[in-house]
Amino acid sequence: MAGVGFRRWAQALSKGKGSGISALLSGSRAASGSSKDTVLGPPPKSPEEMAAAAKKYNLRLEDYAPYPDKGEGFGDYPKLPDRSQAERDPWYKWDHPDLRRNWGEPMHWDFDMYIRNRVDTSPSPVPWSTMCKQLFGFIGFMLFMFYLGETFRSYQPVAPKQYPYKNLYLEKGGDPEKQPEEVKNYRNLMT
Amino acid sequence: MGAHLVRRYITETDTEPDPAKKYEFDPEFGFPERKEREMVASQMQMNLAQLPLEQRDYCAQHLLKLMKCKRDNWPNFLACKHERHDWDYCEHQDYVMRMKEYERERRLQLRKKRIEAQAEAA
Repeated sequence: MAGVGFRRWAQALSKGKGSGISALLSGSRAASGSSKDTVLGPPPKSPEEMAAAAKKYNLRLEDYAPYPDKGEGFGDYPKLPDRSQAERDPWYKWDHPDLRRNWGEPMHWDFDMYIRNRVDTSPSPVPWSTMCKQLFGFIGFMLFMFYLGETFRSYQPVAPKQYPYKNLYLEKGGDPEKQPEEVKNYRNLMT
Repeated sequence: MGAHLVRRYITETDTEPDPAKKYEFDPEFGFPERKEREMVASQMQMNLAQLPLEQRDYCAQHLLKLMKCKRDNWPNFLACKHERHDWDYCEHQDYVMRMKEYERERRLQLRKKRIEAQAEAA
């Protein structure tokens, strides 16, 4: 509240007719910001209210539909289809090419969410079910193959390697006081 | 290459040796006399050389000689061919012995199965 007042005052100082104190005292304000007739109104009930709201938001009466009144505070703002800007024609000459929007066009309630950098509601190139099947099919197959690999391990047909000094008992941190189990490694007679 | 896996999992699942289990036959069985393997490098020597545990095997004396040769001949990295060959040959013989041990265990298992089959048939 104080912030809005301060902004008004600063704008009045910069754009007012007079200079400095006289601008502040004359009470003129800037032309930016919403005016009384564009501000959000209460949810429309009667056909006249609907028509007036449609005109206010630059929509045809057939296209205008308010949000259902559940006390959430939408007022008479139009409920536009939940489609992101990424779905709009990229080749048409929009007034704002990045936002893919023309001047004066009614903005979606979540317009800042539906810009091209953020949420994209474009249809997937392949049906969703196909994509799901492919992804989970592949993951499932890989998991199954890894499971098989763990159950039926592959190894070289060799005996385990022999180590000296009772299987490196002391080197592996064995207790020097305790006697470890006896390990005997034998020579190969052929060598 | 892989025949042992086929034997282990499909054809001879009861006789093919399992790498996870300990070998059940006495190492001296079937040999008139079998000498023990000698370890040449001492524990202190291996410790001083800071050998990793996997390299403290029965070929460590060749590896220690190789390390000394390399250190003495640096930067001539082509110098220690003879020592490297000695160590490689020792490791190779060790691996061949491991293969032979595996095969010995496998044949003893088959023999045991044959004897049991004969005993049952009789």
